Amino acid sequence: MEYVYTILILSCVNVILASGFNLILGYGGLVSIAHPIFYAIGGYVSALVSMKLGVPPIFALVIGTMVAAVASIGLSLPSLRISGDYLVIASIGFQLGLVHILNNLELTGQAGGLSNIPSIIEVPGRALVFSLIMIAIAGLCVLVIRKLVNGDFGRAIIAMRDDEEAFSALGRNPIRLKVVIFAVGSGMAGFAGSLYAHFFLYLTPDDFGIFTSAALLTMVVVGGAATTWGPVVGAVLLTVLPEAIKFLDLPVSIMAPLQGVIFTLLVIFFLYARPQGLLGGARRGGGLEVWASRSAYRGPEGGET
Amino acid sequence: MTPVVRCEDLSKRFGGIVVADRINLQLDRGQIVGLIGPNGAGKTSLFNLICGVVQPDAGHVYVGSRRVEKLKVYRHAQLGLARTWQHVRLFNSLTVMDNLLIAPRNYLGESLLNLIFGAKRLSAANREALDRASALLERVGLTHKAAAHASELSYGQQKLLGIARALMNDGDCLLLDEPMAGVEGRTYDRIKEVVRTEAKQGKAICVIEHNVAFVRDICDRAVFMFNGSIMASGSVDALMSDRRLTDLYFGTGRGR
Repeated sequence: MEYVYTILILSCVNVILASGFNLILGYGGLVSIAHPIFYAIGGYVSALVSMKLGVPPIFALVIGTMVAAVASIGLSLPSLRISGDYLVIASIGFQLGLVHILNNLELTGQAGGLSNIPSIIEVPGRALVFSLIMIAIAGLCVLVIRKLVNGDFGRAIIAMRDDEEAFSALGRNPIRLKVVIFAVGSGMAGFAGSLYAHFFLYLTPDDFGIFTSAALLTMVVVGGAATTWGPVVGAVLLTVLPEAIKFLDLPVSIMAPLQGVIFTLLVIFFLYARPQGLLGGARRGGGLEVWASRSAYRGPEGGET
Repeated sequence: MTPVVRCEDLSKRFGGIVVADRINLQLDRGQIVGLIGPNGAGKTSLFNLICGVVQPDAGHVYVGSRRVEKLKVYRHAQLGLARTWQHVRLFNSLTVMDNLLIAPRNYLGESLLNLIFGAKRLSAANREALDRASALLERVGLTHKAAAHASELSYGQQKLLGIARALMNDGDCLLLDEPMAGVEGRTYDRIKEVVRTEAKQGKAICVIEHNVAFVRDICDRAVFMFNGSIMASGSVDALMSDRRLTDLYFGTGRGR
């Protein structure tokens, strides 16, 4: 039973991560690879302040979330002034760099990571209780994002994604909007990281590597970028699927690479057969689609003198 | 009376290409100025310089008495400079109505703080924007398309929506980049009517246009650009009958 709860909690963590990432990638059209970094920052900061400074986990959670949100400005502010493709590159640098730091910093326990992180709840049936809390929190995060992208704010995000220059020429400030989107999405990732840390009670740099970037990207693309429920479906599917493979009883030498192969094949398949993802409607473009079409579009206005 | 927009010795080059060479231009309240000249003369670049998409190498742009050439694009718009684009550039994932609702000069909904703490102001602003957008849709004859996606519109309708979107900015200046390109019949008449009405209500308007009939019809005066310079300015008819300019325009002269 413990195993089922673990899968459930991981699914919820991934739902929060994928939904936040969808806000940035799907709605905002900002292709960043560095989402796991903010997940890591949330987890590590919250673990460290509770371990070293004795901050109760519930407050550590808040600190971890805030630090992740603020840290996102470090990526967004310098890189958002340049155009989309550079953001991908900058974010890859950010991603690889930070994991490298985690692997080498004494404070974060180097490659071994942190263990004996204080637990957030101490009750009988801890896993069950935490599962229920996580379902509620994940649901809340999804609803917050849904609220954000459907109102006045969402209209601005989508308009900016469609045509940033036309958007600014109407009097809108795209830089501020992007920084805010990044901060909200990354703050949520930090929140997920803190929750993860204070439930599983250990962290290693491996949890936040480029493989996690790929997994999150897959969740959003497969589920349906720029939809409310797409990342939820994608996150659950791609958390459960690798676990299901484990039951196939394959040797480890095949099992380990198989996950990567499956993720990759899924993305390629979906980009070909159903670029809008499982739940994407026919019209509402987003995510990689936007990126691809924008790269192709760039030109006529700039070319005319 | 202070002009609505004034360019003073505005210059810009991209590498070796001079797109603006000491341009002086003034847009006055209630006047329609036609910007004409062959492709590559620097007309769109001049628009980009005025509205801040491109920063000039030298010279100044004034909106009212305020110097704006160092300000960001969106600040220009907030000061009342509205423009359309040659390639329309609507927000295709949004509905026709949403394309207008995003376009007021000040849009409280782009700030999270306003969303959280300014609910009352926000809803008042939204109501006003909705009224203005509905009235504009009525004016350009797109009321029946309000819920359609912008990408579903015909080309003429997209042009109309582009103009309506610029008019959501209730400022004093309107820059129209080839509003008539690829447009005919009823849409043509409608755009003409809208532009005229806006001028009558006191907006300063500048139109880039290759359609000579339209320029002659609607502009109070015209400015002829070539290679980033203003070659001449005056009444449309005077410019059109200047052999030197038509040679430049059609490339029929014996060299430059």
